[in-house]
Amino acid sequence: MDQKDQVASHHDAPHYVAARVQRALAEDERTYELGIRVDIRGDQLFLRGQVEGAERRGAVAAVAAENAPWLTVRNEVTVVEVREPGEEETL
Amino acid sequence: MRIRVAAVGDVHLGEDIRGRYRRRLEGIEERADVLLVAGDLTRHGTPEEGRIVADEFRDLPVPVVAVLGNHDYQSDAEDEIVDLLREAGIQVLQDDSTVITCGDARLGVVGGKGFCGGFAGKCASEFGEPEMKAFVRHTREIADLWHKALKGLDTDHRVVLSHYSPVKDTLTGEPPEIYPFLGSYLLAEAVDAEGADLFVHGHAHAGVEKGVTPGGVRVRNVALPVLQRAYAVYCLGDEPENC
Repeated sequence: MDQKDQVASHHDAPHYVAARVQRALAEDERTYELGIRVDIRGDQLFLRGQVEGAERRGAVAAVAAENAPWLTVRNEVTVVEVREPGEEETL
Repeated sequence: MRIRVAAVGDVHLGEDIRGRYRRRLEGIEERADVLLVAGDLTRHGTPEEGRIVADEFRDLPVPVVAVLGNHDYQSDAEDEIVDLLREAGIQVLQDDSTVITCGDARLGVVGGKGFCGGFAGKCASEFGEPEMKAFVRHTREIADLWHKALKGLDTDHRVVLSHYSPVKDTLTGEPPEIYPFLGSYLLAEAVDAEGADLFVHGHAHAGVEKGVTPGGVRVRNVALPVLQRAYAVYCLGDEPENC
């Protein structure tokens, strides 16, 4: 089995589980999110960062949950709010 | 002879957010003379997403100049994406330059996606295994091309457009361990050798907007998650009061 296809185990150290989830978020075609921070504390997995839409926020949580199903996913990822351009800066 | 430069990066367009960004571009001609797009136009780098990007940025009332980012290479369709953008009237820089005329002022834009390697004192070198040498050589060759392109520009103002960062300043907030994958000092060195009014980049979603190169060129990280607005506008002029 390719290392990429291996599923993490709840026997793995949280350090390696977090690394595997982060890698999955970067490489899974449903997400391709490189900037999501993954922290594991006890039986909870925290996701932090920003994505461009609500569907992508849900996909991040789904991919994380698949890769560490024994942990409770806390999805603290936010969706970027695109506001009006605002005032210009003179250089 | 002022020029107002609008800039944004990392729009990561896909089917799920089609049309969402376009709405924010309405009225851009009131605010800016040109729009620069600093890479990561797509999410998966597919031709389908390339078409969405082309639709989102086509027929704007101001010229649009773009570079690709790492996401735009993910499906090995970068050439097709470039063709789609160019067919839509968007200029795409690939380590070369273009000149935009705004009224009586001429703006030179140099750039490309850039690449990584790290920053002075904490960077990779062209030494050892062929993979490491190729990694660093890629950035050095890009920097050399930008240096030559800047040297060849005789315009009122010069802006460099990149996906990767030339400095650490605008990466503040990112984990320091990944700085070498977010940019390279070689890009700054090339620009400082010739001078420019502004260096625009994206890629560092958790970074900050403002920085400066060792040679004094203003750097702006325009990644959408950093700006949290449709685009930033930077006014270049001989005298600040002209802006």
